[in-house]
Amino acid sequence: MKRKVPIAIYFVIGQFIAFFLDGSLSQAMSGVLFKYPNSMVPYLTVLWLILAAFFGNVKKLHLYTWAAIIGFIFDMYYTGLLGVYVFIFPLVVYLCQMVYQILPPNFMSGFLVYFLGITVLVSLGYMANAFIGETDSSVAQFLVNTLAPTLALNLVLLAIAYFPIEALYRTHRQ
Amino acid sequence: MQKFFSSRKLVIVVVCLIVSFGLMSLSVAIRDRRSTPPLVQQFGNDIVGFADRIVAAPMNGIHHGFVSTKNLLNTYQENERLKSKVDQLTQTQVKDQVLSRENKQLKRQLNVGSTLTGYEKINAAVITRTPSSWASQIIINKGQASGIKKNMPVIAGPGLIGTVAEVNKTNSKVVLVSNTAENSNRFAIQVLGDNSKVVNGIITSYDSSSNRIIMGNITSKAKLSVGNRVTTSGLGGVIPKGIYVGTVSKVTQDDYGLAKKVYIKPAANLNDIEVVSVAVRD
Repeated sequence: MKRKVPIAIYFVIGQFIAFFLDGSLSQAMSGVLFKYPNSMVPYLTVLWLILAAFFGNVKKLHLYTWAAIIGFIFDMYYTGLLGVYVFIFPLVVYLCQMVYQILPPNFMSGFLVYFLGITVLVSLGYMANAFIGETDSSVAQFLVNTLAPTLALNLVLLAIAYFPIEALYRTHRQ
Repeated sequence: MQKFFSSRKLVIVVVCLIVSFGLMSLSVAIRDRRSTPPLVQQFGNDIVGFADRIVAAPMNGIHHGFVSTKNLLNTYQENERLKSKVDQLTQTQVKDQVLSRENKQLKRQLNVGSTLTGYEKINAAVITRTPSSWASQIIINKGQASGIKKNMPVIAGPGLIGTVAEVNKTNSKVVLVSNTAENSNRFAIQVLGDNSKVVNGIITSYDSSSNRIIMGNITSKAKLSVGNRVTTSGLGGVIPKGIYVGTVSKVTQDDYGLAKKVYIKPAANLNDIEVVSVAVRD
């Protein structure tokens, strides 16, 4: 009989693939995603983390540790600005998990919680970037040109990824 | 329901905030001051860069396929248009050859070694782009090992796209001119105005809503008009002279009416970059 691969392995490998896909998608689709003046940013890494928090066992997967690790790599490799996503990723995962526990576990509440999660993530990212002078866009500009398109893109990605990933965790739960 | 802000949690939050701000200030300080990041960060970036190439290769392959198909569909029209330009091009090329040879001879006679215009190119492929709205950065697959240094200008297609911001051993980050950060991309450029008068200045900011580079604080009286060509001026450091930046699209007064503000349309498409060359001054 074939031995089952533990879900934790899938989780870690999937996380790194999601991490690299973020950058690759931004590069390959930059004409669409970063069309002036809007910018849509894919956050597949966070999608993977939050869905793991929804369906998986947070303790067994060491989810917060992994969120911090991937956040640190994100800071180091993509932005070169340390100390931003290393804290934001675990925080967003924590918030999403807390809220999701209260709600009935179905797609609509997942959608809602993810909406909140991405809003918190992008807003905190904006605040950190504004603090060090990396961006000069005003709050109004940020809301219209960054937050709204980013939310739209990421909710579409969630709708695509929600059920396959749920199935993956369900088959491994028994 | 448990109390949300128990004292233990509060302490953790405060400590996290302090560490976060500390790290941010540290990395900004390091980025501005040093040519390469600390060794640990460099090492980490190199490893991640290698892993990224495995994932990025198929993605870039797919993208390349799409672009090729699109190009194929446009081929006929483009061919018609380009045919009319070919004759002109050969003429210019021959003239350019003659002039550069003459230039070399004259330089030798005058004992002038290298001037501001001379540069060599290091070609590199783009691995990935920073998924962020603000940091307009791409990561390229050449680094210190290939002779790339911080602040070198990067060219893609027709013109300048940005400068090297961080150099690791085998990859480096390029900040595009579309970055709106306060402290990036202050390079020296010049406009070839009417009556071949030259106006020097620096890039002061970028207007993200209309995709225009802004060159501010110009007090020169020389007349500039729409369509004037803008190149790098080679003044002040590592950037060679004569790299094409774009064309003037609008000239206005600044907020106080004292100086001119020139809007420049970048020559290169900043959202479709696959291969770049880094210009190294001789």
